[in-house]
Amino acid sequence: MTLQALTANRLLDGEVVFWSGDAWVEQFADARLYDAEAPAEAALASAKGLATVLIDPYLIAVTDDGAAPVSFRERIRALGPSDHLDLGKQAQGGAAIAAIQHAHGAARSTGRLSLIRRKP
Amino acid sequence: MPTLIRLEDGAFVEAADPFTAVADDMPVPAEGAVVLPLARFEAEGAGLLDEGRPVGVLLQPDEAVEGLAYDLPRLALVALAFPKFRDGRAYSSAALLRSRLGFAGEIRAVGDVLREQARDMARCGFDAFVPSDGSGAADWTAAAGRYRHVYQTAADHRAPAFVERESE
Amino acid sequence: MSVYAYDQIDRDMLADRAAEFRGQVTRRLAGDLSEDQFKPLRLMNGLYLQLHAYMLRVAIPYGALDGRQLRALAEISREFDKGYGHFTTRTNIQFHWIRLKDAPDILDRLAAVDLHAIQTSGNCIRNVTADPYAGATAEEVDDPRVWSEAIRQWSTFHPEFTYLPRKFKIAVTGSAKDRTAARSHDIGLKLTRNRDGQLGFEVMVGGGMGRTPYLGPTIREFLPARSLLSYLTAILRVYNRLGRRDNIYKARIKILVAATGAEDFGRQVEAEWAALDQAAIDLPDLELARIRTAFGVVPFEALPARSTAFEAARAADPAFARFARNNLAPHKRPGYAIVNISLKAPGETPGDATAEQMEAVAGLAERYGQDDIRVTHAQNLVLPHVKLDDLPVVFAELQRHGLATPNLDLVTDIIACPGLDYCALANARAIPIAQDIARRFETPDRAEAIGELKIKISGCINACGHHHVGHIGILGVDKKGEEFYQLSLGGSGAEDASLAAILGPALPADQVAPAVEALVDAYLGLRSDASERFLDTYRRLGPAPFKEAVYADADQA
Repeated sequence: MTLQALTANRLLDGEVVFWSGDAWVEQFADARLYDAEAPAEAALASAKGLATVLIDPYLIAVTDDGAAPVSFRERIRALGPSDHLDLGKQAQGGAAIAAIQHAHGAARSTGRLSLIRRKP
Repeated sequence: MPTLIRLEDGAFVEAADPFTAVADDMPVPAEGAVVLPLARFEAEGAGLLDEGRPVGVLLQPDEAVEGLAYDLPRLALVALAFPKFRDGRAYSSAALLRSRLGFAGEIRAVGDVLREQARDMARCGFDAFVPSDGSGAADWTAAAGRYRHVYQTAADHRAPAFVERESE
Repeated sequence: MSVYAYDQIDRDMLADRAAEFRGQVTRRLAGDLSEDQFKPLRLMNGLYLQLHAYMLRVAIPYGALDGRQLRALAEISREFDKGYGHFTTRTNIQFHWIRLKDAPDILDRLAAVDLHAIQTSGNCIRNVTADPYAGATAEEVDDPRVWSEAIRQWSTFHPEFTYLPRKFKIAVTGSAKDRTAARSHDIGLKLTRNRDGQLGFEVMVGGGMGRTPYLGPTIREFLPARSLLSYLTAILRVYNRLGRRDNIYKARIKILVAATGAEDFGRQVEAEWAALDQAAIDLPDLELARIRTAFGVVPFEALPARSTAFEAARAADPAFARFARNNLAPHKRPGYAIVNISLKAPGETPGDATAEQMEAVAGLAERYGQDDIRVTHAQNLVLPHVKLDDLPVVFAELQRHGLATPNLDLVTDIIACPGLDYCALANARAIPIAQDIARRFETPDRAEAIGELKIKISGCINACGHHHVGHIGILGVDKKGEEFYQLSLGGSGAEDASLAAILGPALPADQVAPAVEALVDAYLGLRSDASERFLDTYRRLGPAPFKEAVYADADQA
């Protein structure tokens, strides 16, 4: 199966958090990556019981190399807004953040790109 | 037994409920006060009223109160259903019952009925409530009394801000 | 005095609301309320959970603020957020980095300056949009703020209309020139006078953006002004009873009006209105007069129409001359001007202002602008009453704070919602697209040569970026986790309202700005003369040449 991580927003301040295996942490790089369904689901189930700590815990798909969430939306959650690179999790910089920033998306070559050639 | 809260002379009080709510597939009890769904009322209501029994009608949000206009003077109560608290049609139904159809009997909120709705319901003319959130009369008193003023005229005849200002 | 002066009743209302919300937050944090129970309560106070944190949407009633209020917003952004705020297309302000535990304190701080977040979310009547030039433009029949304030009070905690099928937005314009996008609102109200000189409203109902855009048809040509609130009550009651509740995408009044037909819908409203106790609902003349008085009287000076200082600065400083050309609008009084402050510096986030910028604008309003500030649906600010004599110093101060971008209604004055950079509903980012486009046209000469061109970008189908009424509308869509953008042309939110039509297949993010450039180049080659706007050229020629410009090589590829 594809790798998964467990994420949520913290009730008190809305901060994006990830489950590290023993704590809720703020950086995706510290998230525990699950390569099996059962422990991931078990972690999700226990997170759902933390109603005064978390809002809406859910599992996200992670790229095969474990470096970044698959979806664009989850990458922005793991980084921060692209109009303020000094804000959010990305502000701390480093290799793990850079890896998310430079992760390649899903298929970009839908074929349509080549249709839009610009005149010189 | 669900709690029934009545709004009597401006105070929320818990009260015993003399009415039996008759579901669609349930026989009408042999005696006592009943609340019937609209279709059942149309079929069986006249007979029960003739027996001199207190009769109420339960309206779903898509059932127009105007349809009851003829029977209203004989009805003891109209129950208005909230399938979800976000379904606000019954507020208009209550307002129309009071202000247009002149109904003076009990208007009862049933279904997804939460204390947060206390003020809006009371303002639209509801005077009986069957809460679904476990709240009691004290909660309803607190929730409904939280605001010292209102801005608009409604079925509760509270003086709106523009009237309060006139008298200043 | 410039904004409506709250009395004790208005203040008590906000204080009671803030106290109520504090209690609800306490219950949530203690676990007495579940998230499912709490969410609708926090939303009714404008508190959303977005991607990175909570977002608080603060109402700016009909877009009008005074310096004290804008300073308070700046302080809140600094103390509880990250030093900036985002002005929205509904003339509200959003803070994107709010903590739940701070929210009750923020509501108290807002209430201290007569501001609040009431009904900035939820299926209720939202903040009214009004003409940002209200009280300043000679075009207006009457001041729309008076009527907007009447609507604010009537709609605040309206017991019957708090759980409508869907959210509900009202716009009031005082003049035929429409700066409110009236026909794109659930109800658009245009102040007008009938043949007898009586004041009233043209009533448009059933406009909207979103998944299914409509321009609202007129259901009443003339409604006597004093009957406004009872007539609104009738419309809302018909909608509350008959609007669809089975499908969230079909729940807006526009769907009801379209399905019923404007004439039939109008008849139902008239019937309901006739049966209402209008006298109990409509404000007495004395209260209307009190509201009008509570806005105060602007102490205009008798000034010559021509200002030597202004003319001298214009002759001496080309940058000032450009600003004057693009960002000023004529004032009703000689010697004054309406100053538009663009929040669209190329490369910046459309609609964002830092705390320092907010304080600078507040200071300018207090010193040179009768303490009056407006927010526009194009996410810009306005100082409605500035003396021509003071313009050079106001301009210099704006320049110092990065607020003197001379691009009102030009290609770089782009509307964009927060998009996927912040918003939990978005499918794609809007801000970087706006930044890309703006950078391409950042040379002011070029932007000015292109003339009026309104680009509007939404990050999802909810259309907060008003893409349906953009001369060029851009809609972000999600294609298998990737951001794509659909271009539409020919929309307008002004008095010549129209809906934009989709040009062709969606483009990947990096192709959007080049495509816009191609559209602009095509327009420059096609326009009959420099006075023909992009929109006019498109209306004259239709989509074909523009489609050709963007998708030129499609067949050969």
